[in-house]
Amino acid sequence: MKGYKTLIFALAVIMVIAGCKKYEQFPVDKVTISYIFDPKDSAGVNAQEFLYGIYAKMKNGHNRVGGDYLDASSDDAMSSAFGPANEATILSTAAYNSYTIPTDENLWAYYYQGIRSANEFVDNIDVVPVLAKYNGYSIKYLWKSEARVLRAYFYFELVKRYGGVPLLGNKVFTLTDNLQLPRNSFDDCIKYIVSECDAVKDTLLTTPFSNPNADSHRVTRGAALALKARVLLYAASPLFNGGNIDPSNPLTGYSNFDASRWAQAAAAAKAVMDLGTYSLVGNYKDIFLTQNNPEIIFMRQGDNGNSIETANGPVGFTAAVGKGQTSPTQELADAFPMNNGLAITDPASGFDSNNPYANRDPRLTYTLLYNGAQWLNTQLQTYEGGQSKPNSTLQQTQTSYYMRKFMGNFESSNSYSGHNEDWLIIRYADILLDYAEAQNEAVGPDASVYQQLTALRQRAGIQPGADGLYGLKAGMTQDEMRIAIQNERRIELAFEESRYWDIRRWKIAETIMNQPRKGVSITQSGTGFLYNDINVLTTKFVSPKMYLYPIPYDEVLKNPSMKQNPGW
Amino acid sequence: MRKILLFFSFLLLMTPPALYAQNKTVTGVVRDLGGTLPGATVYEKGLPSNGTITNTAGKFTLTLKGHSNTLMVSFIGYVTAEVTVTSDKLLDINLQPNANGLDEVAVVAYGKKKRITNTGAVSSVSAVDLRTVPTANVQNALTGKLPGFFSQQSSGQPGKDASDFFIRGISSLNPAGNQPLIIVDDIEYSYDQLQQINVNEIESISILKDASSTAIYGIKGANGVLVVTTRRGKSGAPQVNLRVESGLQQPTKTPQFLDSYQSAMLINEAEKNDGIQQSFSQQDLDLFKSGADPYGHPNVDWYDKIFKKYSYQTNSNLDISGGTNNLKYFISGGALNQNGLVRDFADPQSQVNTNYYFRRYNFRSNLDLKANKNLDLRLDVTTRFSDLNQPYDENAVGEVYNFTKETPFTAPYLNPNGTYSYAYSPFNPDHLPTLNARLATSGYQHSRRTDYNVLLGATERLDDLTDGLSLTGRVAYSSIEQFTKQIFSGGIPAYHYDSTTNQYSLRPGATYVYQTYALTGNTDINTNDYNVQIFANYDRTFNAVHHFTGLALFNQQSQTYYAYPLLDGSLVGVPQKFRGISGKLGYDYAQKYLVEFNLAYNGTDRFASNHRYGTFPALSVGYNLAKEKFFSEALPTFSLFKLRASYGLVGSDAAPGNRYVYNQVYVNGGGYNFGQSPQSYPGIYEGALGNPNVVWERAKKLDIGLDMNLLKDKLSVTFDYFHDIRFDQLITPGSVPEILGVGLPAVNIGRTLNRGIDGQISYHGVAGKVQYTTSFVFSYAKNKILFEDEANPAYPWLQRTGQPINQPYGYHYLGFYTADDITKVKSYQAAHNGSNAGDPIAIPDNGVPLQAGDLRYQDLNGDGIINVFDQRAIGNPNLPNTTLGLNLQAIYKGFSISVLFQGAFNYSFAIVGTGIEPFQSQFQPIHLDRWTPENSVNAAFPRLTMNPTSVDSPTAYMSDFWLINAYYIRLKTVDIGYQLPASALPFHLHNVRFYFSAYNLFTFDNYHKYQQDPEIATNTAGDAYINQRVMNLGVQVGF
Repeated sequence: MKGYKTLIFALAVIMVIAGCKKYEQFPVDKVTISYIFDPKDSAGVNAQEFLYGIYAKMKNGHNRVGGDYLDASSDDAMSSAFGPANEATILSTAAYNSYTIPTDENLWAYYYQGIRSANEFVDNIDVVPVLAKYNGYSIKYLWKSEARVLRAYFYFELVKRYGGVPLLGNKVFTLTDNLQLPRNSFDDCIKYIVSECDAVKDTLLTTPFSNPNADSHRVTRGAALALKARVLLYAASPLFNGGNIDPSNPLTGYSNFDASRWAQAAAAAKAVMDLGTYSLVGNYKDIFLTQNNPEIIFMRQGDNGNSIETANGPVGFTAAVGKGQTSPTQELADAFPMNNGLAITDPASGFDSNNPYANRDPRLTYTLLYNGAQWLNTQLQTYEGGQSKPNSTLQQTQTSYYMRKFMGNFESSNSYSGHNEDWLIIRYADILLDYAEAQNEAVGPDASVYQQLTALRQRAGIQPGADGLYGLKAGMTQDEMRIAIQNERRIELAFEESRYWDIRRWKIAETIMNQPRKGVSITQSGTGFLYNDINVLTTKFVSPKMYLYPIPYDEVLKNPSMKQNPGW
Repeated sequence: MRKILLFFSFLLLMTPPALYAQNKTVTGVVRDLGGTLPGATVYEKGLPSNGTITNTAGKFTLTLKGHSNTLMVSFIGYVTAEVTVTSDKLLDINLQPNANGLDEVAVVAYGKKKRITNTGAVSSVSAVDLRTVPTANVQNALTGKLPGFFSQQSSGQPGKDASDFFIRGISSLNPAGNQPLIIVDDIEYSYDQLQQINVNEIESISILKDASSTAIYGIKGANGVLVVTTRRGKSGAPQVNLRVESGLQQPTKTPQFLDSYQSAMLINEAEKNDGIQQSFSQQDLDLFKSGADPYGHPNVDWYDKIFKKYSYQTNSNLDISGGTNNLKYFISGGALNQNGLVRDFADPQSQVNTNYYFRRYNFRSNLDLKANKNLDLRLDVTTRFSDLNQPYDENAVGEVYNFTKETPFTAPYLNPNGTYSYAYSPFNPDHLPTLNARLATSGYQHSRRTDYNVLLGATERLDDLTDGLSLTGRVAYSSIEQFTKQIFSGGIPAYHYDSTTNQYSLRPGATYVYQTYALTGNTDINTNDYNVQIFANYDRTFNAVHHFTGLALFNQQSQTYYAYPLLDGSLVGVPQKFRGISGKLGYDYAQKYLVEFNLAYNGTDRFASNHRYGTFPALSVGYNLAKEKFFSEALPTFSLFKLRASYGLVGSDAAPGNRYVYNQVYVNGGGYNFGQSPQSYPGIYEGALGNPNVVWERAKKLDIGLDMNLLKDKLSVTFDYFHDIRFDQLITPGSVPEILGVGLPAVNIGRTLNRGIDGQISYHGVAGKVQYTTSFVFSYAKNKILFEDEANPAYPWLQRTGQPINQPYGYHYLGFYTADDITKVKSYQAAHNGSNAGDPIAIPDNGVPLQAGDLRYQDLNGDGIINVFDQRAIGNPNLPNTTLGLNLQAIYKGFSISVLFQGAFNYSFAIVGTGIEPFQSQFQPIHLDRWTPENSVNAAFPRLTMNPTSVDSPTAYMSDFWLINAYYIRLKTVDIGYQLPASALPFHLHNVRFYFSAYNLFTFDNYHKYQQDPEIATNTAGDAYINQRVMNLGVQVGF
């Protein structure tokens, strides 16, 4: 009968096992949505962290595209790491298709992730009983408005790349939803972005960056209005307004030209100016180094460090290692006028081709490092075989220029040290240029147009001249003024992800990007130097298809309603 | 068995009467190659009643009464031997293993199956056959021996050389979902644990392939099951077995690289092709050629300098078994030592051993205790300690291949003053100290691991309740503890010696003194497994013909995993649970009509609580025609002719990536800075969507088989056809647009078909005094994707559906562009506004100027442009779909020889990057056969270029130029031995055997492009530690 004993024992074991308290079903340290939007969390701690996650979706533009600035794919610069695998080179040589668009510019999914997060926040934040107040209301409504501006910004980043894209509203899609959405028209998208900026502008913080406190670096009313101004400027530009690459296609732009779009753009820029909150800082260099200055409107905060110098600083310094990633072009150098404001091509400018960097617009020195420039306690050597252009297999400048902008003031240091590396998305100078351009197109080169350019030139340190026009020609035609504004924009906003898009929206990329990029070859000749322009890169632009990016290949396959852009 | 005996008795009557005297007493010893065989049956031919059984030392004494003068010696699992008694010397009888006898048993789930009554698809191999393979890992020893077993050994590094293996190929698109379940003594083991097992401890191995044999494992059975049982003691005097072997290891292929002169010539040529300045002057080339300036123009064969020709391995095993009726024991210990191929660099700074090596110590004690008449207890304890060492952060093979790290001309082995040199060439941007310097001084990575398993079991026979019923309970616990330590010293003082000025310059950034070693990282991994099983077994025969079997099982398992530093906090510390009940019911009528039903109801906590348990039924039937009178009369030569079929449903609970697919989690990360002096604020973002409906993958498996034994069981044939549909596969949907804005979970949507044949044909024969066995094993498994939720591709040839799993895609190679092609392209473009659209000579759109000698690919869509839309299926997946094994064995007196040829067919591989591409790889002999204007017809390699994105790069443009359809046939194992005759054994030894064994002795393959072992993983740089050929000498002693 011993068998029964065993049997009983076995059954007891089973019962003990089966009767055990249920083990941990799921790691309890994991965060779920009910924990983020918690109806009992009166501080909204986790909801706020989720909002910061949305903020973090803003891209930091420093060396963003495969280690290069996006403008290294424009006519302002090339990558020193040029070569067929280099993303900047792929973009500037038209070596991509809908399948192989470089990763860092393949942002379709990336920004839709940001949009989804914002939608999730907008949809769920209401349940969180946040006690803290702003303007007499729970601060959660402020957060919600911030999320909406960020969402509008993400849409704009998509629209400038692809034209009209699917607008999702506030919907957070699940796997079972129909995701075969068609693209909304370009017009719809612009309207949506503008309406979002308008809708929330009065419920945002008004504190500008220049008046810092713990919360000041958030999206402000100024940011919403500035974003609106930029969006309207893009929408009024030739690429979309009158120059639609497929005039019958509402996805790629407007079907007609309408001058009133320029007027709207001018009015939107004017609205930012009229806030009276922002102004140009006195010294051009301080814009990027001084935090909380009155020129900053909208930015992506960066870290404190010297990674910009490490990546882009000139090569050849052992105590201040730089990889010389960015090679600005001769075209960019030539775009800077003399310090009397006259273009170097102007016979009266006083330009000396044997001493090309003397007496130039001070912004040249703040934007580029050229042969002989003061840097790291030395006169930079970018002549052939010089310290910073040794012509070894080391990565080095291809054009005899290095980028200076964004870097700290290391003219008289031996090594690099940390500084703020924020990425300015919109600053007051943009707004002035937006206004000047839109006003010139809408009305003509009136005094208010001149006023913006002279303000920028004054700040830059150009001599005012007897007429107080800082070298600008008086009484320009609209066309002349357009050229002047385009050049001013180029030099003022170099490397700020402006030029790359500007040559597209002005529809001049097909001309500019089908010319070879130029650098200079500098050879020592006795005590002086000889300067010879050389071709450094053959860029390519296939018009009209490259004015817009292709919708990613897979996205078109997965969604029959997703219309590809023309030519791809 | 009895019938066979009768048959032999009948034969006896036919033999002429012998002339020797009667009543002669014969003594002898019965052995196999592993030692003596206690319990073997010995009887006189023609007089079955005059027999005896060998004692614990394998000896017997028998007095002959008949006229035959012949003994019949039989033992289950061995071919019955017929021995003529010619003298009165001690008879030395060698039995040869035979896995194909009708009563031969194969281990299956919770029991054993006889070949005659088995209805499932099961293949097994006796461990005696495995012990002859000189490899550290069980799975390597199985290659070529089991039908349906597919394996690939992609590395030969000591301690990391275990093969990946699959049963009947693969059928899941989920990369985690193809690993077979591994069961050792009815307890689940991981891949890792399996490879630590000492082959000497193994009794037998089976693989379970069809639904009927795996359904009992239910949710874990879909990938097949590898079942291992360990050796146990038998009652008798202690038997001690000592086996000591030692041998040489060397790579199966030794790569050859070009010298400095040839490399420099090719570099100059590539630079000329690319239109850039040539790096080497004629003077440089002359100096490389003459070797007159060994420091300024070095010429170093780094492979030769870094690696030895061969290294040693030793393997020692000692086991003791025996016992009484009440207590039986098997106790064994083993020590394995595999050394690495890297040379020992004598250097005063080299205080540590940085070489590759692996050491393993195994210990096992299996005890069986008969507590009383009805209660049996067992206690199995086993531990494994292992030490695995490798250089810190260096892949020595990869570095030798890697052109960007160092080249033959980059640096001398040592400077004239004995200091280390560093890579000085501009082609080596890191300017690393030479590899010998780094291997000598830069440190090691050392993993120390302890495995521990204990199994406590009790079986109560409940014959009191009803005959044939027993109840077993088991508790098993296992743990793995692994500690990895890394020691690193950077900043080796390396100098460049300028032979023209006799000056030394320190490597930039280096210091003049060695830096001390720093502990750069340590990880600690801990796995604990806990398993409880309770099962009732029933086995009873009524009226001698109605045979019933039954099994009811409760099984619960819990695994915890802990790692420091935390690898993924979410997966640490929370136990993974498995629980279920299973059952089996079998019936056979007189071993003629067979039927078996299996059912499992089990689940794991990888799924949401309402989707945790599944039901997995399987039915199998068999019909042994040889038992039918009409059949046996018509075809008497067949002792077995069994048709069998099985059909059932099994599952796989392996979820890809995230274990908690069913729940969506939000991830901490992506913070943002706010405030005047920026302060970091943490962020949270949304993780991939959850799939609350996630369930296990399922497979509908059909198997039709035929088992035959004929010619008195000398010839046996097993043949299986299988047809498996794997569905509900967990894959990430491919058709969801990215505007969803969040990652996707795995969803149960994939569906594949896997079908094929496998089987075995064995023949045991005797020719004179030679016994021989020939066994041919074949396996073929081909899968096809039926559905993988693929977005409808732009062109039909891009479609994945309908192709095998892991089908490679790439361009189809047409040849080399000729100079004429280039001219035509240029004129076409000139006529078409710079565009090549529509040109019959298509060109790539990568922006790299095309040249004659570039690889030309087929323009599938005819648009004049070569781009991703011109990729199609090329070659075959990397896992062979056909493997064959041919095993030949012969025994003559004490001499034995066994060879195994193994071949794999229908697979492809390609090597990229440092394995082949110029300027990433060292220059290899094949680069001499590059395309040049003079060698445009017989070129075996495209023109040389430094551009890594040109059409000539396999990384940028994978094509069937690079992807080769390979096969190989290997002389996988050889074992030649001599067993001293029993009469010659001194002292109390009862077995002494000397042997030579080899592994991977010769390989025949069909490719010349790569200097690589044919089992290499595809699309890698091919720089894994090359598989080793092992040649071993050993001695085995039993007493």
